[in-house]
Amino acid sequence: MSEEREQILKIQDLDISFQTTAGTVHAIRGVNIDLYKGETVAIVGESGSGKSVTMKAVMGILASNATVTNGTVEFSYHHADGSPETVNILEKDKKWIRRHINGKRIAMVFQDPMTSLDPTMTIGKQIMEGMIWHFKTPKKEAWDKAVQLLKEVGIEDAEKRMKNYPHQLSGGMRQRVVIAIALSCNPDLLICDEPTTALDVTIQAKIIELIKRVQKERGISVIYITHDLGVVAKVADYVNVMYAGKIVEKGKINEIFYEPKHPYTWGLLSAMPNLDTDDERLYTIPGSPPNLLNEKPGDAFAPRNKYALEIDEKADPPMFQISDTHYAATWLLDPRAPKAEMPAELKTRIEKMKKEANEHGSRL
Amino acid sequence: MAVDYSAKPLLTVDGLKQYFKVSKSFTVHAVENVSFKIYPGETYGLVGESGSGKSTIGRSIIRLYDPTAGKIQFDGTEISGKLSTHDNHILRTQMQMIFQDPMASLNPRKKIGDIIGEGLDIHHAYMNRAERAEKIQDILAKVGLAPEHASRYPHQFSGGQRQRVGIARALIMNPKLIIADECISALDVSIQAQVVNLMKDIQQETGTAYLFIAHDLSMVKYISDRIGVLHLGHLLETGTTEEIFSNPIHPYTRSLLSAIPAPNPIVEKQRVAESYDYKTSGIDYNQGTDHLVSGSHYVKCTDEEFAKWTKRVI
Ligand SMILES: Nc1ncnc2c1ncn2[C@@H]1O[C@H](COP(=O)(O)OP(=O)(O)O)[C@@H](O)[C@H]1O
Ligand SMILES: Nc1ncnc2c1ncn2[C@@H]1O[C@H](COP(=O)(O)OP(=O)(O)O)[C@@H](O)[C@H]1O
Ligand SMILES: [Mg+2]
Ligand SMILES: [Mg+2]
Repeated sequence: MSEEREQILKIQDLDISFQTTAGTVHAIRGVNIDLYKGETVAIVGESGSGKSVTMKAVMGILASNATVTNGTVEFSYHHADGSPETVNILEKDKKWIRRHINGKRIAMVFQDPMTSLDPTMTIGKQIMEGMIWHFKTPKKEAWDKAVQLLKEVGIEDAEKRMKNYPHQLSGGMRQRVVIAIALSCNPDLLICDEPTTALDVTIQAKIIELIKRVQKERGISVIYITHDLGVVAKVADYVNVMYAGKIVEKGKINEIFYEPKHPYTWGLLSAMPNLDTDDERLYTIPGSPPNLLNEKPGDAFAPRNKYALEIDEKADPPMFQISDTHYAATWLLDPRAPKAEMPAELKTRIEKMKKEANEHGSRL
Repeated sequence: MAVDYSAKPLLTVDGLKQYFKVSKSFTVHAVENVSFKIYPGETYGLVGESGSGKSTIGRSIIRLYDPTAGKIQFDGTEISGKLSTHDNHILRTQMQMIFQDPMASLNPRKKIGDIIGEGLDIHHAYMNRAERAEKIQDILAKVGLAPEHASRYPHQFSGGQRQRVGIARALIMNPKLIIADECISALDVSIQAQVVNLMKDIQQETGTAYLFIAHDLSMVKYISDRIGVLHLGHLLETGTTEEIFSNPIHPYTRSLLSAIPAPNPIVEKQRVAESYDYKTSGIDYNQGTDHLVSGSHYVKCTDEEFAKWTKRVI
């Protein structure tokens, strides 16, 4: 356990705004994320909370109406000769990022495989492309590697499939191809942005198992974006809960699921369908996320939060520390705040989860 | 509101086949001999992976297709054959559909109020403008939208709000059956819960029945009285929600249930989902017949398969 963890990504105080005809949208508000080699960090939150924009900043592919008003995105890697390097991606130009980072050291898998695939090119060519461009790999060698990759991501008849076009494959197979392309240049970091949201659950289960397997075999780091806490439970070592452009709770996976502290996390966990109860009604978080166009003072979650305090109307809560690894931005953790407990139903549910976990050989 | 299963079924689908001739030599068997009933005020959940034939069943029922074979009865009227003008009118008003993205097929330049009122306009279901406006306002309130939303345009709405509009559009005709085709699949889990609760409230109030189509079982549990599991056009297993969840028999049903990740990290990280591959399963759906498990729980299989699959519960 005392083994030194090697940091590969450090996002610090990231702040991003978009200029729109309706005004300025303050989409990312002081985000901090740390990622270490071989680990998986999940970012979970409702649509519009800023998950994709944060990752686009990491890839240097923000839309042209975006302005980074503050922060750094430090990415650490090794040159071919083994010497270490750390760069602030926000300071690099698009051309440099394309040459040295994108597809080579950081690869991305999106929700809809068709946005990453070129419909006019065979999948074989698309897998070989990056190797040839980044490493000048000879064609024959690139071909063999591509076939190998297709096998690795579980595609049968790999040689034959090399000559297929994307439309000749099912949705699940296309996503496997996208993953093969992502792995083709041996990246250090794989960013998966809702990679299974558009797929059937049975196929989702297989794609997740695939991502977990290649991560383990290759020792790469993964950032996994999703709105589904079931998926988070399956893949993540660390979790960041995002709301309205801000990380509101972060911690080790077990801290977030068994000892959540933020009322928004309580809401997300309570709203998960539960297959083994006979509850008739689902809990829902009332209301909807705020419009980031008209920023108001105070905690952005306050209008939906039945635990909100008076101070939530005036001041955005800072991150309160709960353990070495667990933090939450809620005034409930201020020593002066009245004592507040998570909803009784959630408490019961978590107790049951812990009991089940203990039956699986854990001590909680 | 408990469903009265001794009542006359609202919808009876009997031996429905829907084939599509794609070319001279190739016909897609999208729906293969499917039978089920929906009772007044009931929610029947139809579940299966994409391509299993769910939408086709919905579309055959609402007569966007002419069924290849089989009988469909709705509210005492046979609707699978040629429709009289009167029957057609009944069908178009008493049965409504909600789609995955109701806005996708709509005119983006039309105001929400007019989109919701479209059904009323087509069927001349009001005496004057005031009555029309009142009906639209009532429905907006019922689905949890504000009166001023009527004058807004589709693009100004979030995914969850759009689905409320889709529900309002269906509801305004006061239908006896609403076919909801993946109407929550594109939404966040937290918003899915809001829409499911809304649909339940509306059912309590209006007594409408739902055919609730979904590709996974997790939310279906909260809305359905009974569930049917569909794969490759075959209805493989059907029963009450309780029967399906507590005692799934068909390996396909079991794989669907097992694929849903549970929000319990320690358990979930150790668990491997049960996988199912029809091609290598040795099962031939065409050989199967309905076998009674218990109560209203049926599974489609051969006698040998039934003996094998039910062994572990006895
Ligand atoms: N190019 C853009 N112009 C204006 N607003 C944008 C742009 N891209 C994203 N946004 C806004 O930023 C917020 C965060 O978006 P995003 O990161 O895509 O959310 P998600 O968590 O669903 O991935 C949203 O409110 C979105 O509308
Ligand atoms: N109009 C059509 N012509 C040809 N094939 C079709 C047509 N509609 C559906 N299909 C085929 O029928 C099968 C079932 O489709 P569908 O009912 O849309 O499935 P689901 O809604 O469960 O995803 C699929 O194989 C699909 O390709
Ligand atoms: Mg996104
Ligand atoms: Mg469909």
